[in-house]
Amino acid sequence: MDILFPCLYSFIGCIGYCLSFNIRPRKQMLLLSSAGGALGWCVYLLCGGMKNDIIQSFLAIIVVAVYSEIMARLYKAPATVYLVVGLIPLVPGGGIYYTMEYCINGDMMNFMDTGIHTFGIAGALSIGILLVSGGVRLLNVVGRLRRGDVR
Amino acid sequence: MDCIFDEIAAGDEHRAGVWDGVFLLDCDALLDIVCDIGCELLESGAETYRVEESVSRIVRAFGDMEASVFAVPTCVIVSIARTGGGSETKTRRIYARGTNLDRVERLNDLCRRICRGELDIEQARGALEEIRNQDVATPRRRIAGFILIAFAFTLFFGGGLPDALCAAVTGVAAFFICLVMQRLEANAVFVNIVAGGVIMLLAVGAVSAGLAHNIDKIVIGTLMNLVPGVALTNAMRDIMAGDYLAGQTRMTEALLVATAIALGAGAALMLTRLL
Repeated sequence: MDILFPCLYSFIGCIGYCLSFNIRPRKQMLLLSSAGGALGWCVYLLCGGMKNDIIQSFLAIIVVAVYSEIMARLYKAPATVYLVVGLIPLVPGGGIYYTMEYCINGDMMNFMDTGIHTFGIAGALSIGILLVSGGVRLLNVVGRLRRGDVR
Repeated sequence: MDCIFDEIAAGDEHRAGVWDGVFLLDCDALLDIVCDIGCELLESGAETYRVEESVSRIVRAFGDMEASVFAVPTCVIVSIARTGGGSETKTRRIYARGTNLDRVERLNDLCRRICRGELDIEQARGALEEIRNQDVATPRRRIAGFILIAFAFTLFFGGGLPDALCAAVTGVAAFFICLVMQRLEANAVFVNIVAGGVIMLLAVGAVSAGLAHNIDKIVIGTLMNLVPGVALTNAMRDIMAGDYLAGQTRMTEALLVATAIALGAGAALMLTRLL
C-alpha cells in the first residue's frame, strides 16, 4: 500500500500532464507515458532502502529514460513524449518550495542544505537523461554501421 | 525531374530558362515547407537537434541536396546549396513557444513519410496544413489537466483530501493566470512569479479559513503545474546531441522558471506574514 498509492497518484498527475501538454490517446501515448511516471516513482520507492534520494532519483530516471526509448521504438513516437511526462513526479517540487520557505524564515543552515540537496536531485535527473540518450545514440550508430550504411 | 534533364541535354536554351525558373520556384517551395516544419516543431516543444535533423533529412529526401540547418530555441536558419552554384537561405524567428507533444508526434510522423518518399512537396504542404488545423489543446482540456495535476500531486506529496480539493481550486486559478498572461504576451518568468504569488495567497487564505491544513502541500501540488520539465529534458537531450548553445538556452530557461516560481511564492508568503 505504501508503494501503490503514491504510484497511483503520480499516474493520475501524469494524466493531467498529458492533458495540458496535449498528448492524445492515439498510439497508446496517453496511457503509456503516464505509466512511465508511475514506473519512475515505483523504482524510486523500491530503492528506498538506500536512504539517499539523489541516488534514488538517478536510478528512477534511468529506468524512465530507458522505458521511453523502448516505447519510442515500439510505437514510432518521439522519446521526449514519454520522457517529459515520466520525469515529472521526480522533479523536486517540494525541494524548491522548502528552500524558499527556509529562506523567508531566515533559517540559513536549512536553506543551504535543502537548496544544495534540491540542486543535487535536479543534477541527478539531468545526468540520467544525458547518459541514456548518449547510450542510445551510440547504439544507433552501431546499428547503422552493422547495416553497412556509412555516411 | 528526369524529363527536365533530358530537355536540357537536348540543348533547348529557351526550355533551359524555363527550367531554371521552375527550379527556383521548387527551391523556394522546398525552403518554405522545411522552414514551416522546423518552426512548427520548435514551437510545439521538440528538441533542437530533432528540428535540425528533420529539416536536413527532408531536404535530402526532396531535392537530393545538402542543407545546412541552424536551429536554436528562438530561431531557425536553413540554407540550401543549389546544384548550379549559389545558395538559398531562409531565416525564421520564433517568438512564442508552447508544449504540444501530440503535434510533435504528428510532425515526426510526417517527416518519416516524406523521407520514405511517400509525399511530394504539394502533398506535404497539405499534410502540414492538416496538422496545423488539428489538435490544439482546448481550454477545457487544459483546465482538466491543471486540476488533475494539482489534485493528484497534493496527495502525492502527502497532503490530505481537503488539501487536495483546495489545490484543485488553486489549480483553476493558476490556469486562468497563465491564460490571461499569455494573452498579454507576458514573459515566462513574469508569468511564473505572478502565478506562484497568487497560488500562495490562495493557499494561505484557504488554510486560515479552516478549509485545509497544510499550506505547503497545497502550494507544492499546484506549483507542479508550472515546473519546467520540458525545458530540463530538452536541454539535456540537446547537450547530448552536441547542440550546446540550444542546451544552454533551455537550461537557463529551466533555472529561471524554477527561480521565478520560488520567488513569487516567497514574496507572497512574506506579504502574508507582514499582514
